[in-house]
Amino acid sequence: MSEQAAVMEFHPQPQAGEPKPWAFPAPERGTLGNGLTVLTSHRPGQQVVAVEVLLDAPLDAEPEGLDGVGTIMARALSEGTDKHTAEEFAAELERCGATLDAHADHPGVRVSLEVPVSRLDKALALLAEALLAPAFPEDEVKRLVANRLDEIPHELANPSRRAAMALSKELFAPELRCSRPRQGTEETVRRIDAAAVRAFYRAHVRPSTSTVVVVGDLTGVDLPALLGDTLGGWTGAKAEPRPRPAITSDDSARVVVVDRPGAVQTQLLIGRTGADRHDPVWAARVIGTYCLGGTLTSRLDRVLREEKGYTYGVRAFGQVLLGSADGTGAALLGISGSVATEVTGPALADTWQVIRTLGEQGLTDEERDVAVQNLVGVAPLRYETAAAVAATLTDQVEQQLPDDYQADLYARLAETGTVEATAAVVNAFPLDRLVVILVGDASVIAEPVRELGIGPVSVVA
Amino acid sequence: MGHTATPEAHSSGPTATEHRLANGLRVVLSEDHLTPVAAVCLWYDVGSRHEVKGRTGLAHLFEHLMFQGSASVKGNGHFELVQGAGGSLNGTTSFERTNYFETMPAHQVELALWLEADRMGSLLVALDQESLDNQRDVVKNERRQRYDNVPYGTAFERLTALAYPDGHPYHHTPIGSMADLDAASLEDARAFFRTYYAPGNAVLSVVGDIDPEQTLAWIEKYFGSIPAHDGKPVPRDGSLPDVMGGQLREVVEEDVPSRALMAAYRLPEDGTVEGDAADLALTMLGGGESSRLHNRLVRRDRSAVAAGFGLLRLAGAPSLGWLDVKASSGVELADIEAAVDEELARFAQEGPSPEEMERAQAQIEREWLDRLATVGGRADELCRYAVLFGDPQLALTAVERVLAVTPEQVRAVAAARLRPDNRAVLVYEPTGGDAAEEADDSAGDAGDNDASTEQEGEL
Repeated sequence: MSEQAAVMEFHPQPQAGEPKPWAFPAPERGTLGNGLTVLTSHRPGQQVVAVEVLLDAPLDAEPEGLDGVGTIMARALSEGTDKHTAEEFAAELERCGATLDAHADHPGVRVSLEVPVSRLDKALALLAEALLAPAFPEDEVKRLVANRLDEIPHELANPSRRAAMALSKELFAPELRCSRPRQGTEETVRRIDAAAVRAFYRAHVRPSTSTVVVVGDLTGVDLPALLGDTLGGWTGAKAEPRPRPAITSDDSARVVVVDRPGAVQTQLLIGRTGADRHDPVWAARVIGTYCLGGTLTSRLDRVLREEKGYTYGVRAFGQVLLGSADGTGAALLGISGSVATEVTGPALADTWQVIRTLGEQGLTDEERDVAVQNLVGVAPLRYETAAAVAATLTDQVEQQLPDDYQADLYARLAETGTVEATAAVVNAFPLDRLVVILVGDASVIAEPVRELGIGPVSVVA
Repeated sequence: MGHTATPEAHSSGPTATEHRLANGLRVVLSEDHLTPVAAVCLWYDVGSRHEVKGRTGLAHLFEHLMFQGSASVKGNGHFELVQGAGGSLNGTTSFERTNYFETMPAHQVELALWLEADRMGSLLVALDQESLDNQRDVVKNERRQRYDNVPYGTAFERLTALAYPDGHPYHHTPIGSMADLDAASLEDARAFFRTYYAPGNAVLSVVGDIDPEQTLAWIEKYFGSIPAHDGKPVPRDGSLPDVMGGQLREVVEEDVPSRALMAAYRLPEDGTVEGDAADLALTMLGGGESSRLHNRLVRRDRSAVAAGFGLLRLAGAPSLGWLDVKASSGVELADIEAAVDEELARFAQEGPSPEEMERAQAQIEREWLDRLATVGGRADELCRYAVLFGDPQLALTAVERVLAVTPEQVRAVAAARLRPDNRAVLVYEPTGGDAAEEADDSAGDAGDNDASTEQEGEL
C-alpha cells in the first residue's frame, strides 16, 4: 500500500563481533581482629558503594511464640543508638546520601547500605553505630510493633503475598519456621517488646558469626583503616554458627483456593521444594526452568500469553529458601502469575499440558542453546552495579557456598546439555506432586478447577 | 548549601556526542569502556497525551505490537534474538513518550540496531489482526494485574483524572480504559504508526563499550534509508493555570485494608528551576525516613503506617506531586489531613533548614548516581533530555542544577503550590470485610517486572 511506496533498504541480520572476556568478580576475603569476616570487590566506575552485613540471626532462632522479633530487631537497629535518637539517625544517614535497609529472613538478618563513595566513611560509622550500639528504645520498639500490626492487613489484601503465605502454610509442617509468615502474625507480633528485641540481639548478633561485604569503586579508599575504625570496634564473645534446620515438605498434589470474592483475576502460585544450590542439579534446573517459564518466549508464556492472551505473564522460578552445606537446605520451585478469572480453569489445563508435553518430548537443542546464551550472556549486564555484585557475594555466604560459586556456575551452565536440562525441569515439576494455590473468586473458579482433576480442591476464606 | 559528593566525576564524567541522519533521526553516543556492555535506547516522541478521545491506551497497546515482528523478524523474534544474544530488553509507555531499549554484551550492539531499524521501517508489513487481538488481551490482563486487582490500584488513575480536567491530554493514564482497548482497531494501529513512528520523531542513544565511528556507520546503514515522513499533528496544549483554584475531592468506598488519604498537587513543569525546587520540597516533606511528614505522622502522631510524596515529572503539562498516606487503624482521616496541612503551611512559611537542604540534595544526588551507574540508565536519560528538552547534554549536568537550587526557591515553590486550593484529594474508606490473622511473605513474586512505575506500562 501507499505507506510502503518508499521502502527502506533491508540488510541481512548482522553477525556478532568478537566477545570480550568478562568474569564474575572474585572477592578478597579477610577477617578483622574481632572475627568479623570481610569480603571486598573493587568495581571501577561504580561511585555508589554497596555494603552488606549478614548476621547469623535466622528466623528459626526466634523464641517460640515471638515470630517477628527478628524483623522488629532488624528495623530497630536504625531507630536510635548510643549517640543518636531515631530521628537524628535517619537525618544523619540521609545527610550522607545513604540508604539503609535491614530485614530478617530464614538464613539470617541482612543489613544493606548504599552510599556515594565520597561519604563512605561517615556512612560506615553510622552503620557501625547501628550494629554495635543500638539503643532499642522502648517507645520506638512499641511504635515499630504498632506499625507492623498495621501492615498486616495490607499484606493480606495483596494477592501475590497472600498466595505465598498460603503456599508456605501448605508445604511445611507448622513446627517448621518456614511454614509461618516471616514477619510474624498479629498474635505473635503483639507480644514483642523492647526486652524481647534486646534479648534476641544479645543472643545472636556478634562479629565472629557475621560477614560484611563491600563493593564499589574503592580507588583511593583505605578500606582496612575505615573498617578498623568502625566495625573493628565491635566486640562480642566468639560463637559457633547456628546449625540449620533440615527442611522437609509435603508436596502431595492438591489445590487450595483462597477466596477473594469479586476478584477480576486469579493469582496462581504452583509450588513444591527441591534441592538448593549445593546440589549439582542446580545448573541444569536453571536452564530447564528458563525454558519452561523464564521469559515471554518460554513455553508457558508462548501459550498462556502470546497465543491465548490469558495473562500478562507467567514465570517459573527456583528460589533458595535456606541453603545448607550439609545438603538439608531447600529451594522453592514455583510457577506464578495472574490470569483472568473466567479463564482460570483453561489456563491451568494449558499449564499442565505444557509440562506434560515437556516431559514427553523434552527440550530441543535450540531451546537449550538460547537459554544458555541468555543466562551466561546477561552476566555482565546483570552485574553492572556494585549493589548487584554485593547481593550475590552475600547470597553465597548466606547459602554456605564458596566465593567462586557464581563464577563457576556460569562455566557449569555452558557445559550442561539438553538431556540434563530436560530431566532437571521435569523432575522439578512432577504433575502429581504440585501444590496449587489460587487466590481468586472461589464461586467462579473452584468448580472448573475441580473438573481438571489435578488434585483435591479445598476453599479457604 | 549542598556540596557535590563526587567533584571529580563531573570533570572526568561521561560525555556525549550528537548526530543527525538525513531522514531526521537524532543520535546520541556516549562511550564507557569499563564493562563490556552497551545500551541501545530509542525514544519516540509519542505517549498517551497524543491519544484521542475513545482511544485511550492506544500508545501502550501499540508498544506491545512493536514486539510482534516486522519485515525481517518473525513473531517474537525481536525478543528471541536479543535474549539469545545475552541481552535484555523492554519497552515502556508514559504520558509523554514511548521508549524501547536493549542492553547488550558489547559485541552484539549491531544486532540491536538492526532490530530497531527493522521495526521502525517495516512494522506494518507484519502487523495483523491476530497480533492485535492477542496483545489486546495481554494488555487487559496487565491492567487487571497492576491496577484493577490490587487494593488502591486505581488511585493514580483517579487522581490524574481529577487533577487534569476532562479533555486535557493528561486526563487519562497510559494504561487506558477497557472499553477503549476493546475499540482499538487494526486501522487505528496502522494510522498511529504512520503518524508517530517516523525517524524524525525519535531519538536513538547508544551508550557503553562502543566504537563511536563504527556505531554511527551501523546506524547510517540500518536506519539511514528509512523514509522521512512528517505527518505528526501539533500536540494538544497541556498548559494550565499555576494553581487549580479550588479543592477537588473524591471519596472512594472500596474493600481496601485501611483508610487512606491521597492528593495530587499541581506543580511546575519539568526542566525548570521551579521544577527542581519542587522536587527538593517534596523530598524534604515526604521523601524518606527523615522527612517532615514521616516524622510527624509515622513517628510522632503515629497516625499513619506510611506517609510520603512522589513526583510525576512532566514537560508538556504541570507536574504532579502525589501525596500518599495510609492510615493506622482507628485514625480519622480528618486528623491526618489537618496535620498534613499544618506541616505544609509551616514549611511554606519558614522554608527548609540548611540541614534539610543538605539532606535532600544528597538524596537526589545519590538517586542520579544510581540512574547513571548503568549504561541503560544513562542511555535513557540522554534520550529523555533530547526528546523533552531538545538537548541531551542536560542529562549530564542535571545534578549540578539540583545542587544550585536555593532554600528561598524551595520555600517559594512550596508557598505557591503546596496549598489546599491547589490539590485534588482522594479519600479511601474501607467497606468492611474483616482481615488479619496472618501476615506477609514475599516468595513467588518472580518475573522481570521490577521497573514498573505508576505512570508507565511496560511491555
